[in-house]
Amino acid sequence: MQQSLFTALLIASLVLFCFSCYRRLSLVAVGTGEYRFDQPLIRLKEMLVYAIGQKRVVRRPFGLNHGVIFWGFLVLALANAEFLISGVFPGLSFQLLPKTLAGALSFAFDVCSLATLVAVLVAAVRRTVRPPFPEARTFEAYFILGMIALLMTAYFGMHAAEIALGKVPAGATLPVSSALAGLLAAPALAVVLPGLPETFWWLHALVLLGFMNFLPFSKHMHILTAIPNVFLRTLGRPNCQEREQFAEGNRYGANSIDQMSWKDLLDSFSCTECGRCQNVCPAASTGKSLNPRLVVHALKENLLENGRSVTTGRPAALIGSDCGQSAEASLWSCTSCGACMEACPVFIEHLPKVVKMRRHLVQMEAKFPEELLNFFENIEQRSNPWGMAPSERVKWASQIEVPTFEAGKTEYLLFVGCSGAFDARNKQVTVALTKVLDAAGVSYGILGKEEKCCGESVRRLGNEYLFELVAQQSVEQFRSKGVTKVITQCPHCYNTLKNDFRQYGLELEVVHHSELIKELLDAQALQVGTVQELGDVVLHDSCYLGRHNGVYDAPRATVLELTGTPVKELERNRENAFCCGAGGGRMWLEEHEGTPINKNRVQEALAKDPDTICVACPFCMTMFEDGLKDHAGATTQVKDIAEIVALGLKGAAS
Amino acid sequence: MIVVACIKQVPDTTQVQIDPVTNTLIRDGIPFIVNPYDSHALEESLRLKESHGFRAVALSMGPPNAEATLRKALAAGVDRSILLSDRVFGGADTLSTSNVLAAAIEKLAQEDEIGIVFCGKQTIDGDTAQVGPGIAVRLGFSQLTLVDRIEKIDLAKKTVTVRRKLEGRYEIVEARLPAMITVVRELNRPRYPTVPMRLASAKAQVELWNNEVLKLDVNTVGLKGSPTWVSRIFSPQRSEGEILGDGLKDPVGAALLLVDRLLEKDLLAV
Amino acid sequence: MTEAVKAKKPRGRARVIPGKCAACGARCQSACPVDCIEMTEAGEPVVSAEKCIGCLKCVKVCPASALEMFFTPEEQKILAELAQAAAPEVDEEELERQRRIAPFRGVWVFVEQNDGEPARVSWELMGSGRSLADSLDVELSAIIIGSGVGKLAQEAFSYGADCAYLIDQPVFARYRTEPYLETMCYLVEKYKPEVVLMGATGMGRDLAGAVATRVKTGLTADCTGLDIDDKRNLMQTRPAFGGNIMATIMCDKYRPQMATVRPHVMPLPERQPNATGRVLPESFAISESSIFSRVLEVITDKSGKDRVDVAGAEFIVSGGRGLMAKENFAILEELAGELGAVVGGSRSAVDAGWLPPDRQVGQTGKTVRPKIYIACGISGAIQHLVGMQDSDVVIAINRDPEAPIFEVATFGIVGDLFDVVPALTTRIRELKQARA
Repeated sequence: MQQSLFTALLIASLVLFCFSCYRRLSLVAVGTGEYRFDQPLIRLKEMLVYAIGQKRVVRRPFGLNHGVIFWGFLVLALANAEFLISGVFPGLSFQLLPKTLAGALSFAFDVCSLATLVAVLVAAVRRTVRPPFPEARTFEAYFILGMIALLMTAYFGMHAAEIALGKVPAGATLPVSSALAGLLAAPALAVVLPGLPETFWWLHALVLLGFMNFLPFSKHMHILTAIPNVFLRTLGRPNCQEREQFAEGNRYGANSIDQMSWKDLLDSFSCTECGRCQNVCPAASTGKSLNPRLVVHALKENLLENGRSVTTGRPAALIGSDCGQSAEASLWSCTSCGACMEACPVFIEHLPKVVKMRRHLVQMEAKFPEELLNFFENIEQRSNPWGMAPSERVKWASQIEVPTFEAGKTEYLLFVGCSGAFDARNKQVTVALTKVLDAAGVSYGILGKEEKCCGESVRRLGNEYLFELVAQQSVEQFRSKGVTKVITQCPHCYNTLKNDFRQYGLELEVVHHSELIKELLDAQALQVGTVQELGDVVLHDSCYLGRHNGVYDAPRATVLELTGTPVKELERNRENAFCCGAGGGRMWLEEHEGTPINKNRVQEALAKDPDTICVACPFCMTMFEDGLKDHAGATTQVKDIAEIVALGLKGAAS
Repeated sequence: MIVVACIKQVPDTTQVQIDPVTNTLIRDGIPFIVNPYDSHALEESLRLKESHGFRAVALSMGPPNAEATLRKALAAGVDRSILLSDRVFGGADTLSTSNVLAAAIEKLAQEDEIGIVFCGKQTIDGDTAQVGPGIAVRLGFSQLTLVDRIEKIDLAKKTVTVRRKLEGRYEIVEARLPAMITVVRELNRPRYPTVPMRLASAKAQVELWNNEVLKLDVNTVGLKGSPTWVSRIFSPQRSEGEILGDGLKDPVGAALLLVDRLLEKDLLAV
Repeated sequence: MTEAVKAKKPRGRARVIPGKCAACGARCQSACPVDCIEMTEAGEPVVSAEKCIGCLKCVKVCPASALEMFFTPEEQKILAELAQAAAPEVDEEELERQRRIAPFRGVWVFVEQNDGEPARVSWELMGSGRSLADSLDVELSAIIIGSGVGKLAQEAFSYGADCAYLIDQPVFARYRTEPYLETMCYLVEKYKPEVVLMGATGMGRDLAGAVATRVKTGLTADCTGLDIDDKRNLMQTRPAFGGNIMATIMCDKYRPQMATVRPHVMPLPERQPNATGRVLPESFAISESSIFSRVLEVITDKSGKDRVDVAGAEFIVSGGRGLMAKENFAILEELAGELGAVVGGSRSAVDAGWLPPDRQVGQTGKTVRPKIYIACGISGAIQHLVGMQDSDVVIAINRDPEAPIFEVATFGIVGDLFDVVPALTTRIRELKQARA
């Protein structure tokens, strides 16, 4: 009776579960194509490290707690399989295995269940006392924790009751259950004790099957999708976006689920709303409406709502202020710093989604913050963000001799960048850099008046059409001039020349000045002395140098060489560094919502009481200089790494 | 009803630099752009297209490569773009320019009634502000210059009410349609073209009307029809910036010096 | 001798002098009778030497003197021989021109007024009109159109006019293009002046453009210099190409020669209260019912300065981080009050909440082009500079002599704005009181 009832239930549950999973996961097919199966061995390795190994999960507070539950469940999956199988075929169980092995398994199940139960309780307490993010105390979250706890309790109840009844011997293989059996053997329970094993068995069975069927409808779906999601991650770093095909009749960017890629959609099923992305997001943590978690969540809601009707009609917009939509203002708040993607334990790619939606707004609707109109027109017509005349580009070099790039005669192209050429403060950095290069005898030249904006911000802002024009011009220019090696002083130029232009068939050897300086110091091509006046130095990692391109050590080593002491690390550093607020095209936008990002970062820096804040990016320079103006008394100075090195040049007596 | 936007392709004068040695214009690499004021005229014509169902036509007189400017107008959304280009139109001053534009508008008027002709208040290369009034007078249209707001268009009564921005004052003026309106920057914010519109405009037809179409007396167009001519071009005197006095030690003295300088240049209306 | 008669006078070929072309708009191409000039993408001519007939038309028409005639050495030899036997040619065109312009005499200045209040530029013009009239040895006339404007005639005399045509009718109470246009054309046709000057103001440019089109003559806009050449022609000099070049414009074949003149450029002549002149009352029959436009309302800035858009302001006093606090903007407000200026600010001033966002000048704020821009305590980051660098006059007041704002300043004061600005306000206030 019990057996056939359970068999029927199990079959029904499995059918329902498979059907629900299929219903949901098949929605992913609505997305556009994208190839994510290259280099399978590397993918497998990454999956083992990050999914099975929980590498990112355990990095943050309570991550280990999740690790315990996850690993516990991996073990308990065997136990549950046995439970289901023996429910249908009562004779079939691990007891058929050699005794020691069966004993070891029993022991593992018993201990893991306890560990999981404890971890779940810790998680519940944590969520109540110090939630991972303010809105985290949802019914769903507690329900999931409750179900797991119940499952564990039922497991123990089942075994303890059997031990208490003497059906199974107490012993070292079931230490926890044996201990609990003592409790169940209490005289007060004598009446109910005989029925307990079956009660707990059914409780376990129902919770297990119920939970299984609840999965596809909840955020707990991630236990199915997270592992494949890690396998299917972008190999390398998501530091640039895909090109678009410009032809009549095409649509650009994404404002409906069918314009997102299948991987974007799978991402949305993989999110379990841990909130790490929003905690590290410079926009979300300074009171702006952007919340990377909600961007992904809205995508999921939209998909569930509209996934079926895609073929029949145009699905509802992704951009808007309703359920399943992301607000325009929030999309424009993104600094493209990549902190969310770095924090996500399951490698959800938030930034490409934001840029796709920006692309839709700019290219299909011409809707963007009004400050950008000038910016776009200046880039298109005048090849720089401010609309300055081309001849202004070389004014920084009016007092010094700077050679023009000529293939064969000069080794490197020094790509000055718009900030380094036009912005008063950053012009000083450019001059300092040329001093350093000259001192090291580096052979380099500039494009002078012919240099054009690389289009970095344009691309992050979603104006892909304009970027296409800009990139093609620049690539053509680099080719015709025979440029192969480039020094940039701007991490944004660096990233674009190195990564974006590759999509246009231009492979350049691009080096950021902080890397080159480090090489020159290592090779002893550059002789520097200790610079006293720098005092205590803190280092701000630029997103596009650090997170997006993995350069963390070069500036640190350089500062060490110049000051004799390691930099003081900011609270949030390296992979966790907090953006200055200027990335993603935010440099050209007003910050209407919340508090300024740069002030947040400046405060963080000043907390270390430094004499010098070292940066390696002209945008960061501007944001820090601006942010420091609020601290009238502060004597802290902002210096680019090139300026710091220029100060230490031997023979530079002045 | 037709709304016309007269636009001109101009060299981007903000990009012009003077060779410090020869004191002459460096014209290398100066891009051609749509005259900024005209882009507001264009925008307003598109808004009337949307709000009143007018047919928007962009007109430009210029060399063959001015087609690029008219393509931008198509990308922004005008229904028709017409380039008025002919060898005999070259070298025109404002009088002969308005002659060609007015003739083109008259030709359009044979197809449908003209409601409003929009022009930028002036061009950035010539800075004359004369072509708009020239068109109005030739066509007998109401002339409303320096408009920064369209208050009302009454198609039943055939009137338009606008706000004109003058020195130190605004005037609300009502006039009869058809009207020629020159616009200032504050009137609107020009739109940015969408990519589908841009791609479509690349293939769209820019009509070419030469003098075989307009059939104007060659003595009234281009250089021959221009009463004014440029006898000489030279570089202006350039004054370097001047630091006045010692503002740190003697702020009052520096302030007095400044007021003197402004008075010398007749810049203070006291 | 016989040989010299046989030799045909070589006409040479036109060629472009590199680097001189100003891409004026294909005047040479338009002038060429044999279509031998093609324009490049950059707007410069390419002369096809085989087709050129040496007519000189392109050379004459080039404003930049970028075309010249080229002769082979043999041709130069023949020319030299011919030059000895040359007789002056009678230029038919020139005679025709002289016949056409002969009836026109006199210099006119249009006296612009609003509500009976004359525009200052009209009196500035009276000064330059006076010297033109003296050079031409003709009378200087004031043209006064309005309602209840009789008293302006005496004002005009006191600034140098010999006589004043006065049209004083209620229909002219508010400036409207049609009635003013009709009246001006009537007067021009009737009295045939050779020079007509108007202020390059909103009204002056509106009217001048219309009048010149109607009487089919040349009009030069926004002049900054006027002079007379040896053939009694008006030489009109004006900035072009965004002020990057100056051009001298002629209108020698047509009369009247019309020009609008930029305000604040010509010096205001000294007022002679006792000067006298002839008032020539005129009337022009035009009825209100035949005019299709009406001025419904006039709004003056003074009635609501706060509503004025900083983007359109003619005078701007701007403050930045150097102001230190919101309440310190009061000293800028005071200066602005004296100048009739609008207060604006840099991004940091707006970010700090010292000014509303619509007053922000710069890359992400408003782009302004006022006559005077006074930057107080603004360092001049590029984000700010691009929003204000096209101002006619930039005045920078900053403590830091290295501040980039000084690079674009016409006048700079290195000093504490809290000392300099109040001193400036006081000085201007004193001056105003002295004049009043």
